[in-house]
Amino acid sequence: QLSVLLSLQLTSEDMIAAFSQAVDWAGCTVRAFAWHPHTNKFAVALLDDSIRVYNSNSATVPSLKHRLQRNVAAMAWKPLCASILAVACQSCVLVWHLDPTSLSTRPSSGCAQVLSCPGHSPVTSLAWAPSGERLLSASPVDTAMLVWDVSTETCVQLQWFGGGGVTYLAWSPDGSKVLAATPSAVFRVWEAQMWTCERWPTIRGRCQTGCWSPDGSRLLFTVLGESVIYSLSFSEYRGEMQGQVGGSKTASIVADLSETTFETLYGEERIGGEVHSMVWDPTGERLAVIIRGEACPLFPPHSGFVRGERGARPQLISFHPCFPQGALLTVCWSSGKISHIPFFFVGALEPHASPRRSPVPVLGSVREQPLFSEL
Amino acid sequence: EATKIRGMEHWAGGSRSPHAVSPQVLGWRVAAAITWSVLLLPICTAAFIILSGLDPFHPVRWISNSFNDLYTSYVIFCIFLMSMVIIIISIFNIEFYAVVPSIPCSRLALIGKIIHPQQVIHSFVHAIMGMLVTWCATVMTKGRFQFLAVSCTPSEGLEDAVPQMCLNEYHLFFLLSGAFLGYSYSLFYLINNMNYLPFPIIQQYKYLRFRRSLPLLIKHSCVESLHFVRNFCVTYYFFGYIPKVWICTTMDLHTDGKLHPLDTLSGLLDLSLFYHTWLSGVFLLMTWYIAWLLFKIYATESHHFPIQPTFAQETDQCLPKILNSNPPLLIKFLALQDLMLLSQYSPVRRQEVFSLSQPGGHPHNWTAISRECLSLLSDLTQRLIAQQEAAAAANGRAKPPVGELKVPPQTPEDMSFQSQRSNIVLRASMSPLVKPSLMPVKTSPGSDVGSPFSSPALNYKMGVVDIKSPWHGPVQSPHVMRRGPKLWTSVSDQQMNGSHHESFPVLSAARTGTEAVQPRFIYTWLQNKQEQIKTFLSKRALIMYFFSKHPEASIQAVFSDAQMHIWALEGLSHLVAASFTEDQFGVVQTTLPAILNTLLTLQEVVDRHFKLPHVSSKPPRISGSLVDTSYKTLRFALRASLKTALYRITTVFGEHLNAVQVSTEHKKRLQQFLEYKE
Repeated sequence: QLSVLLSLQLTSEDMIAAFSQAVDWAGCTVRAFAWHPHTNKFAVALLDDSIRVYNSNSATVPSLKHRLQRNVAAMAWKPLCASILAVACQSCVLVWHLDPTSLSTRPSSGCAQVLSCPGHSPVTSLAWAPSGERLLSASPVDTAMLVWDVSTETCVQLQWFGGGGVTYLAWSPDGSKVLAATPSAVFRVWEAQMWTCERWPTIRGRCQTGCWSPDGSRLLFTVLGESVIYSLSFSEYRGEMQGQVGGSKTASIVADLSETTFETLYGEERIGGEVHSMVWDPTGERLAVIIRGEACPLFPPHSGFVRGERGARPQLISFHPCFPQGALLTVCWSSGKISHIPFFFVGALEPHASPRRSPVPVLGSVREQPLFSEL
Repeated sequence: EATKIRGMEHWAGGSRSPHAVSPQVLGWRVAAAITWSVLLLPICTAAFIILSGLDPFHPVRWISNSFNDLYTSYVIFCIFLMSMVIIIISIFNIEFYAVVPSIPCSRLALIGKIIHPQQVIHSFVHAIMGMLVTWCATVMTKGRFQFLAVSCTPSEGLEDAVPQMCLNEYHLFFLLSGAFLGYSYSLFYLINNMNYLPFPIIQQYKYLRFRRSLPLLIKHSCVESLHFVRNFCVTYYFFGYIPKVWICTTMDLHTDGKLHPLDTLSGLLDLSLFYHTWLSGVFLLMTWYIAWLLFKIYATESHHFPIQPTFAQETDQCLPKILNSNPPLLIKFLALQDLMLLSQYSPVRRQEVFSLSQPGGHPHNWTAISRECLSLLSDLTQRLIAQQEAAAAANGRAKPPVGELKVPPQTPEDMSFQSQRSNIVLRASMSPLVKPSLMPVKTSPGSDVGSPFSSPALNYKMGVVDIKSPWHGPVQSPHVMRRGPKLWTSVSDQQMNGSHHESFPVLSAARTGTEAVQPRFIYTWLQNKQEQIKTFLSKRALIMYFFSKHPEASIQAVFSDAQMHIWALEGLSHLVAASFTEDQFGVVQTTLPAILNTLLTLQEVVDRHFKLPHVSSKPPRISGSLVDTSYKTLRFALRASLKTALYRITTVFGEHLNAVQVSTEHKKRLQQFLEYKE
């Protein structure tokens, strides 16, 4: 458990940098990014510890600043809510209550709730329950992850022993399971009704990132030091099986991303390596990964690459949660630019269960050649 | 005492209500909780014996002695005795539990609670039990604490033929400390509302919940024992001689002149005595808290109610039946909790809710469930409206346009709430009547119309009279009187230490004053009595201290049962959201307008509540202590889950909601929800 000991010796800033989903957390202007789950609104955390909230329907860009808002590692908008943003900070979790109709550009710090718990800092990951009722927060130094009832500011500690703290959280979109990665070579999958967990040891290193399929039946994860994507499938979730996670016995490799030579318009390029972060779009048909600084959307059976401007490296990626015509990938670059890359397609699962996504027959796809989509 | 719904009245269950479900569900839980707390007792005892024989300089001898002591007959007898104590404590926990806390709104109400006969019995029995536990502790500790009477140290010089028996003051000290601890426990149990059963925010297995609370429990017991023992030492220093002399005379014992008396400073500065008293205090509190914690965990565990009966005789135990009847409150809470869980996690059981009855094809399950949820919610709406009206009337403002709130008529099921509401309405309608009678008082000291008396802040308290206080009826006039003082701002507060009793004649006089019809009479009467009133008012600080209502407490009291409404909201909204894809027969559609109407009306009222003066918009900080104070923040949870519930419905139904028939105002509101602008 060398890595556990090492992680405890790091300063908290180093720790956040090591476990953040941003590639170069310490140096890049954009430290965290979060799409609102229902509207065209996103929040960006900047290097100077301020947060900007951009809205497609409004020209005002509120800038959030707070005394305790230091070293923002992650952000998450509350689902089923107009404008509540949870921010993982150095010493606490801040929950901003923004008025969606307000025109103010500097909401007062009185709009922020402070959720703190002794021993629970720095907070590096946050996850809201898709039903909007609970918030999970995790810290690499705290062995317990906290389940918050934000409205009353009460929390319940979910403790286990061994494995160090929790570095990364991902709540499955159907709300049934939570992935919790630790600084050691083990990760856990919690079942979110009775809060029991299954423990998964990995062979090489800690779990770096992971993402869930829209129905919560499949988990993709990557391991530090390996350039493959693993898949773990779970038995279909039914409420009757209380207290069982229902994971399969072994994880299978679904993609090998080791370095290969690609013929491109600009000549041969060698691309491949370890995966830093990975997102799956809400229709379940596109998967985007950052490979050691290259943003790479994969979609079966083909894959393509997104190249940024000269010298710019991708920092963070995120899919728009409710893009009606397909998928919208947002990439934050090391240059400080944020670009939105739409993918137009008709999902195989259409008509989708959610009525908000009525199928719009817009064809035209990046699925065809060339392999690169230019910005 | 409308909201003060004690489990006590309901516990007997089977005999009073027709529901066979309560003894079935609760009986097993209680039995399991008591069994576990008795089973954990030997472990606590072993830890106590080991720690009480602490001898850091001879560790081997210490450990071996402790283990030898564990099997002796007197330890086994003590464990048996303490099991009895645990059972009695558990019975008290069961008799006193409440799912809706009773919140005293003023200090007087709190005092009323303390001297209530029930509480006196509680305290008395706990004091006796505390004494028994410390007696066991002295027996297990052995040494100089063990016996009450010991033979006196033979004094040199005098050769007595008969060795005299002397009082062992250490033993007495121990026993009294036990009684003191038991009483303090009982007092804190009351003051901290420890009889309140808070439901956990997430479901967890009982063992995990217990393990999570155990470190907190140990820490709490240690700290509290320290405080109690400190308080006891102070008490013993001042009053210790009384029981000592009494015991000596009744049992014909002598005081040993050789030993230090304990009610002196030097006697109390005995480290070993302090350690052992503290340790037995920790032991006592821990065993009792474990019993309390286990009962809490078992009682609030979720219970699986069937939706449809498999056999005809099980009809009474079905969720729709239980929701629509008047079971013990705990059962109702468990049923609503189960509704919330099934609506969220169980597609199979949701299907049963949406199903139609076999012959006839009526959606009985859904109708029953939605009706009960809606009646609960509109009940809360009514209560809040009444409270706001009262506040507005007290403020002297125009009443809010209540007419436009179309509150669906609700079933007169819950009599307790009905009566409470009518009480509030009564007070609200009374206040304008009281006001004119106060007019002459206003003019009496020669001030003109623009006197500060007419300020809304002054009149504010009028409508919010403590209905639950047992003092409501007889001591109504002090409420009127205590508003008076602000008139005479020149009156000094110098004579604050005056006795409370002197003021009573004036109080009764003032009552006649307020009820009098002729203002002129009061005017003259008041002038005559001016001096007397002034002396009374100078002592107002004391009266204010007892009668002043804490605004925060009265708000907490209004929302004390909000947990039910939160679950009703969550259950209803999850069911409606699921119905979009799962409801084959469209049974939910028929109730959708009513649901939206109720939720939106409640949303308006809750919004308005948080705009009232004295209402904080943020929850107070809760420290992570053993004592749960979650009832203080229920209104914030209600506000949040109400909004989430509305968004859950609007997000799933989307534009289809435009086809639902609701009033224009509600349509506007729904549009805002659809655009995520609320």
